[in-house]
Amino acid sequence: MSVRSILMLLFGGVVAAALVVIIGSLAFVKQQITVLFPASVALASDDALRMLLIEQAVGLVIASVVLLGAMFYVLGKTVLTPLKKLTTALEQYETTGERIPPEEFEESPKEFQDLIASFDEFTERIEAAHRNDLETSRIKSDFISTAAHQLRTPLTGIRWALEALQKGTMNDDQRVLVNSAVDKSRDLVAIVGTLLDISAIESGKYKYNFQATDMHALLVEVANDFSYLASNSKVSLFYAQEEAPLPRARVDRDRIKWVLNNLVENAIRYTPPDGTVRLSAEAGRERVTIRVRDTGIGIPDKDRANIFERFYRAENATAMQNAGNGLGLYIARTIAKDHGGDLNFAPNEGGRGTTFILSVPVAR
Amino acid sequence: MTDTRFILVAEDDPVLKNLLGHTFAGKYQTLYASNGQEALDLFEANKPAAVLLDLMMPGVDGFAVIEGIRKRTDEYKGVPIIVVSNLGQQKDIDRAKTLGANEYLVKAEVSVEEIVAKIESVLQGTTPAV
Repeated sequence: MSVRSILMLLFGGVVAAALVVIIGSLAFVKQQITVLFPASVALASDDALRMLLIEQAVGLVIASVVLLGAMFYVLGKTVLTPLKKLTTALEQYETTGERIPPEEFEESPKEFQDLIASFDEFTERIEAAHRNDLETSRIKSDFISTAAHQLRTPLTGIRWALEALQKGTMNDDQRVLVNSAVDKSRDLVAIVGTLLDISAIESGKYKYNFQATDMHALLVEVANDFSYLASNSKVSLFYAQEEAPLPRARVDRDRIKWVLNNLVENAIRYTPPDGTVRLSAEAGRERVTIRVRDTGIGIPDKDRANIFERFYRAENATAMQNAGNGLGLYIARTIAKDHGGDLNFAPNEGGRGTTFILSVPVAR
Repeated sequence: MTDTRFILVAEDDPVLKNLLGHTFAGKYQTLYASNGQEALDLFEANKPAAVLLDLMMPGVDGFAVIEGIRKRTDEYKGVPIIVVSNLGQQKDIDRAKTLGANEYLVKAEVSVEEIVAKIESVLQGTTPAV
């Protein structure tokens, strides 16, 4: 029910009531006159009286209609028009973000002016808070960009210089030293990279681009990408493809590929020569589940609870001269969860090694 | 390789420029620019077969160079551009690719050999130009 329709109903009702009252009272008066002045007034003046009464009735009706009309018009203007103005102004703010200048409502009743003034103040405060947030975000983002560049530039120089040295002639002792330095410089680069990723994740700037993705193709790609590392490490890496086709998954292809890369690389590194790393995928109703199964050294019981924590490195990890800075699994799990999926692992039953289980949602 | 191709390298850090030159010697004829304006001028004068482009350079930056090349109306507007930069945020990668860069490598994360491999792949046209 709108204010307008209520007013119209009211108007109609009052007019009708007025008409009833007027006609009723006129009839009553006429009856009284006939009773009080029977014969004399009867014939000739009956018509005249009737005419007079009718004229007066009509006059009264017109007068009341006009009066009531005026009343309702004024009411409408005072309430309806500013209300409509307010609604339009709010809609305009919603679509274009333009605020309503309070001067627009100078003609409107005080209540509306107060309302507008409060709204104005309210939006000012909200916009100021928003600007603040954007500024903070921009500063953080600038810091990340600057830090990235500042850290990576000397790192690049060190790495490339060492790699160039590696290609030259030197004695065995020197070679060992140079190789160690190259390894460590690459480790540093990886750490800087993951630190920046964490920074981005935690400041909420990690934007995902979810698309319906063919996971089968992705797994084939990952298996191919790591075939070199696998054969170098004498580990057999393969993707055991299912007969049944996989439904597409709703994932950010680059990020999920990063997760898979992490899992496969870890699997290869922690599996001794002649071991295997097996990739597989299966589809459920809601989820596509990918398994990375290795025959490696496994994760000790006491590390199981912590392996996804930041900077945690299982004890047996430090024993190996391997890449790994304790951040990869933390980020990987965060990404999986951000997708609405999960990342878990379980020791292989009856055999050596671990299976990491990544689940992602099926694309609708 | 039948003829030595011209590669334009835009890199402002002298140490890194040196290290790149070390490996490119004998493989490619290299032109070096230390800022965006120089890069655009050298591009105009020499029409290289590929561009290796840093992003953070003084004055005119790498993004502007990509724009400048892709805005051309002659047959050189599609010259392959490999961005080699230590900025690695997704927004930088997206921006470079949207402007028309063919490849984006994070300097610290690749070896010079990998850069050479990338140059080879774009020169052979295995990476389609934008």
